[in-house]
Amino acid sequence: MIDWILYYLGLALTLLGGIMDLIASIGFFRFKDFYMRLHAATIGAIGGGFYPLIGLALIALSLDLDIYIKAYISGVCVIAAALIALTAPAGSHILARATHRSGEVVPKVIVDRIKEDMEKGGNEK
Amino acid sequence: MRKAISIIIYGLLMAIVYLVYTGVFSLVEILLSIAIGLIIAYIFAGDIITDLSKLSLSRIYHAVAYLIKYFTVIEARAHWSVIKIILSRNTNPKPAIVRVPFKADNPYTIVFVANSITNTPGTVVVDMDENKKAYYVHWLTPISLNDDDAYRSISLEFEKHLTKVFE
Repeated sequence: MIDWILYYLGLALTLLGGIMDLIASIGFFRFKDFYMRLHAATIGAIGGGFYPLIGLALIALSLDLDIYIKAYISGVCVIAAALIALTAPAGSHILARATHRSGEVVPKVIVDRIKEDMEKGGNEK
Repeated sequence: MRKAISIIIYGLLMAIVYLVYTGVFSLVEILLSIAIGLIIAYIFAGDIITDLSKLSLSRIYHAVAYLIKYFTVIEARAHWSVIKIILSRNTNPKPAIVRVPFKADNPYTIVFVANSITNTPGTVVVDMDENKKAYYVHWLTPISLNDDDAYRSISLEFEKHLTKVFE
């Protein structure tokens, strides 16, 4: 019974991850600005990278295998998921910060507090 | 003494990661993992562990509770709101870069709150200022441009839980 629940929960998470990746790639085309595309990239990293790995770990736990093999596969999946969740935001931060500081893309926003603070002279470059 | 305990705790955690990644649980492998873990911990523990006396069961409990809540409720809500915008007929949101103040002092809290904000779709931390104690957040669907309202709706929940873990 518990194997059955784990298997179908993992399968659902993995399928959901595929759908999330598809939606994220649609979002890349529909958003017209660099900063808005970062939000679509977050969906691809967390919804399309983190949750499928957790799902794979659950599927591996539910299979009828030796306990060492199960522990190995699901452990690697969980560690990889944790690394994605820790490092994907660092990449997003550095892309957004570098783009804003270089002035390569002018963000299409209704207010830009970084620019306001820099014009006041508080935020040194 | 305190440094030795922090090296041992950190080294055992590294040994567990090593064992999980190799997938072999023989005696030689376990001894090798502990040796490598202790070497890594000897090099890095001084930088990573700042105050061992803060280690307690209640902090671990709060961390696990926060992780479970974050990856089920908060992430699902944020994903759904951005997916609705992507699949709507007229993709024309009006984003804003707002200032979100924070009250935390510990660098771990600051980093983890920033990571939590960026990991939820709809908000990305573009820049931060440590002297003014503020993040600059690109917000896809701004509810309010005021600093305090932005703090309440973006980072209050993360900061409330993470101060219990790290401060």
